[in-house]
Amino acid sequence: MVKSIHRVTTRVMRIDQIDARVRLLHLQDPDGWDLPPFTAGAHIDIHLPSGLIRQYSLSGDPARGDTYTIAVQRQDDGRGGSRELHDNVIAGDELLVSLPRNTFPIGKDAPVTMVAGGIGITPFLSALPSLMASGQTFTLHYCARTVERASFMPMLKEMGLGDRVQFHFSETGPRLDLERVISDLTEDGHLYCCGPTRMLDAVELKSDDLGARLHVEHFGVAAGADPAYEVLLARSGQVVPVAPEQTMLQALRAADVDMPASCEGGVCLECRCRWLDGTPIHRELTMTLSDRDEWITPCVSGSAGPRLTLDL
Amino acid sequence: MKFTGKVEGLHVTPRSFLPMRNMGSLELVEGLGIEGDRHSMNEAFHSDRPEEGRQITFFEAETLEALKRDHDIILRPEQHRRNVTTRGVPLNHLVGRRFRVGSCVVEATRLSTPCRHIEQITGLEIYEVLLHRAGLNAKIVKGGQIHLGDFIEPE
Repeated sequence: MVKSIHRVTTRVMRIDQIDARVRLLHLQDPDGWDLPPFTAGAHIDIHLPSGLIRQYSLSGDPARGDTYTIAVQRQDDGRGGSRELHDNVIAGDELLVSLPRNTFPIGKDAPVTMVAGGIGITPFLSALPSLMASGQTFTLHYCARTVERASFMPMLKEMGLGDRVQFHFSETGPRLDLERVISDLTEDGHLYCCGPTRMLDAVELKSDDLGARLHVEHFGVAAGADPAYEVLLARSGQVVPVAPEQTMLQALRAADVDMPASCEGGVCLECRCRWLDGTPIHRELTMTLSDRDEWITPCVSGSAGPRLTLDL
Repeated sequence: MKFTGKVEGLHVTPRSFLPMRNMGSLELVEGLGIEGDRHSMNEAFHSDRPEEGRQITFFEAETLEALKRDHDIILRPEQHRRNVTTRGVPLNHLVGRRFRVGSCVVEATRLSTPCRHIEQITGLEIYEVLLHRAGLNAKIVKGGQIHLGDFIEPE
């Protein structure tokens, strides 16, 4: 199990049941200390009591330094994380979480257009306070199948967004006209989309010309620079999966492999271990080229292939 | 070695990763650490590998100024994650030596190594520019209270 000192310890201070399917969990430090800061669009890993690890966007105002707010939609046929957060987690429980990471930073010095599909609204909720305060030009399109499934519509209406928020219900009205949204973008406007895969695929298909002005975030899964791979521990035979955006060291720790490590930046080499097979990607800053033939530091290094074998 | 420096900032946090809070004074406990700080309560990221010399840590204000001057990086004193911001103290020269902080005495054990977490916490790319100037680790030889403005001198 992950050690609490290697994560941020939070307590569930309050749970707001938005409707039958969606609840907001407000997490704070047990002693009211400020939490590590985050920026609009960031997400955290939640370590559930069962051992599951799930990613949730932070939906609160980043200016409020003492609270992480996550919105959890119960997925009855999902992988179990949302059910656990709905059925087993109550106010007062402690939850370990990761430092916030942001692969979907929202807000530039340019007009912002946001398209949210269903629970894909969550990263945008963290951006609205600063967008409103800054006077920046923005539009939010909130899409859902029905009014009833637009869980955050009442909250958005209370925020005084006026015509800067538009609601689209596919069962009772026309779907969002994506081509229109894209053609309405100004030359310097950025488009941000979060929602189901089908919606994101459609956006990406129609947004070829936007280039770096298009930003998409998939539900619950953070886009990582490295693809997933697995590590075979030669001595024990254990196979440890390394997820995208996870370091090899984090994966080993999560699998209860005792790995001493200090700087976690490829300098001190305290976590170095022998590698036996595969194609390592070396990112050490201080290891000699000849040592790289034998050693690897799991804190920063990766694997170019699907499996790397370590002498552990 | 002769020098006379000052305490320019005091900072603690009760657990790993949490932002550090600026303080007017700190209570140093001999052989243990700083009251209310993560290292004295086994709540630091490295607490599973205890180290006597990590009872109190120091960082030079001059390094913060160099980061701004040379790299246009603004790192605030409470962001470097050490306990004491010093001015006029050659920290890198003090490994193995004892020095006074106000009425307290500490013994420097090793240079601090930057930690990649500081980039995650601050959002600044500063890991590599902090190499060799990430501060000093020390153990507390004589405890007591230290304050902003206290003198720092060789014992």
